[in-house]
Amino acid sequence: MRKNFLYLSIKDSLFTGLIALALFGPIVGLRTVAKNEVLVVSPKWFIVLVIVIVCALGRFLTNLYIYNRDQKFGIQSTIGKSITNFLDTKGTQIALSAIIFSVIFPFLPFTDRYLMDIAIMMLTYIMLGWGLNIVIGLAGLLDLGYVAFYAVGAYSYALFAIHFGWSFWICLPIAGIFAAMFGVLLGFPVLRLRGDYLAIVTLAFGEMIRILLLNWYQLTKGPDGLTGIPRPSFFGLPFKSFPDEGEQTFHTFFGLEYSPMQRIIFLYYLILVLALITNLFTIKIRRLPIGRAWEALREDEIACKSLGVNPRNTKLTAFAIGAMFGGFAGSFFATRQAFISPESFTFIESAIIVAIVVLGGMGSQTGVVLATVFLIGLIEVFRDFESYRMIAFGGAMVLIMIFRPRGILATRKPTITLQKKEATK
Amino acid sequence: MTEKLLDVENLTMKFGGLVAIDNLSFSAAKDQITSIIGPNGAGKTTVFNCLTGFYKATAGSMFLNKENERLNLKRFSDFKVAQKAGVARTFQNIRLFPQMSVLENLMVAQHNKLMDASGFTILGLFNAPSFVNKEKEAVEISKYWLDIIGLTHRADDDAGDLPYGDQRKLEIVRAMCINPHLLCLDEPAAGLNAKESAELNKLLLFIKKEKKTGILLIEHDMSVVMEISDHVVVLNYGKKIFQGSAKETKNSPAVIEAYLGTEE
Repeated sequence: MRKNFLYLSIKDSLFTGLIALALFGPIVGLRTVAKNEVLVVSPKWFIVLVIVIVCALGRFLTNLYIYNRDQKFGIQSTIGKSITNFLDTKGTQIALSAIIFSVIFPFLPFTDRYLMDIAIMMLTYIMLGWGLNIVIGLAGLLDLGYVAFYAVGAYSYALFAIHFGWSFWICLPIAGIFAAMFGVLLGFPVLRLRGDYLAIVTLAFGEMIRILLLNWYQLTKGPDGLTGIPRPSFFGLPFKSFPDEGEQTFHTFFGLEYSPMQRIIFLYYLILVLALITNLFTIKIRRLPIGRAWEALREDEIACKSLGVNPRNTKLTAFAIGAMFGGFAGSFFATRQAFISPESFTFIESAIIVAIVVLGGMGSQTGVVLATVFLIGLIEVFRDFESYRMIAFGGAMVLIMIFRPRGILATRKPTITLQKKEATK
Repeated sequence: MTEKLLDVENLTMKFGGLVAIDNLSFSAAKDQITSIIGPNGAGKTTVFNCLTGFYKATAGSMFLNKENERLNLKRFSDFKVAQKAGVARTFQNIRLFPQMSVLENLMVAQHNKLMDASGFTILGLFNAPSFVNKEKEAVEISKYWLDIIGLTHRADDDAGDLPYGDQRKLEIVRAMCINPHLLCLDEPAAGLNAKESAELNKLLLFIKKEKKTGILLIEHDMSVVMEISDHVVVLNYGKKIFQGSAKETKNSPAVIEAYLGTEE
């Protein structure tokens, strides 16, 4: 038995080496260099050999120590179980401490401009993840074009703020409503679609919005983007280093030294509040009839119909509410950047948000946070390695899928319980 | 003769050239169990799909007599049959919401009235007392039905984790939670053992007696059909070949021929 296993492992790792050779041979081994204005192939077989040996050896070792038949299940499920147990028992404490940490974060000694920027970016993704979680996690509608609503929110905020000079707090709900309208617009034609077909149409929708923004030059300035988007003010007090004559600014009003960090900190709290509102809203709406209908629709649409649940309205509200939060996040993005162009709303953004929701565990609010910190944090850590960032991103996804195939947090808590019964238990 | 609840008149359903139901007329009474039986492919489930709005019947009409109105079910499309006319159904292959808890399954069935109470979700978001009370009421109704099928202790478990027999019963009481006038059951006894199917009979008789809900039953299990049906309609190749009481059906030569064939 043991011998047979060893034999199989060797065979398997040789095969891995062969695949590595086929892949890396042409990619790494055959390099073209320009010599006297002629392209010449200069083979690098040594590096290929090293890569192949590393792959084969690595496979052999993982076969021996990780995929060993007797232990295979052990390693994966113990890690998974301990994570789930930990989060199950300490869930509320973790959430509370995470919120406290994020509230005091700007005033911690090691916090600098760079960390604040990353934190703001993470919170934006968390908010987008929570918004998309309504569509994917609860209603089970795989939406690959979520970034479209983010874009609609950003552009409608920017256009209203630039042309009408309305303040952030007026433009924010307008941007949300616009995004929700686009959500319904997308929702109508895809009512009958499910699964892969729905994914393709939503993907196309995302691209359509981007291309529209790129080409409707009169309104969106196309690829030049919109500049001079007004910065948010602290309830009417702008963040400015040199106030105009007689103008009250944030630092003069509070009698502080001017510092550019003040605005960053304000933006940080702004997105923190927006994200927490998204979270509270989702937690609450899950327990309402509409939230339960979303989940029921994800489970079985035909059964829903037989119970008199209107699938059209239910799906459209999911699209609209998910899109609305995307729109809120979009207007925050616009006001933070003060410049937006269609380049910020490419498919890769949608893909990252979907990855956050799926890897976090569909429908899990805490999972979204964990996945965001993990994925976006990893991308940031690898910032210096530029082109290897996406490899790290992919690697992280593969790792999560190996150890937690249904997402980091895959457990679902019922939205309503018979408490009396549990008390007597 | 008790009051008629359902009148199906000249119902015809064609799929292209295939005639699945051919000019079928029958009626079901208010507090009776009407069974539809017939060999495989006789068109029983198609009748259900027409009744519950999943198919649009090619011709004919189906009238549901409520207290003081007479509704043509043909005019309602899919979910509206359940929502507006009060016709509930179960499915041949159980269709619960497997990853939702047993209680949640029953709450989804009470979606429409809860949705009204939640005032397009806005009142619900702010925990308006009217909504909270309505929700409590819905939980009580769910608990009432769970007590009847003896699943109260599993109310917070996933519906998909229940044993097969319990899933069947849960699907039936879930359909009852929409407070229907007519309950259509598509092979509720399929896959049940003798004990479970006896329990099922009890449950159906309870619904008939206490809730005064008309039951339309498709069934292959003759022990169930013979024991509890008040009226039997036999279909073969989309046509009605016999109708009468259970006893009459058992002795009808036409029925025996349809099931067993004729002696050469």
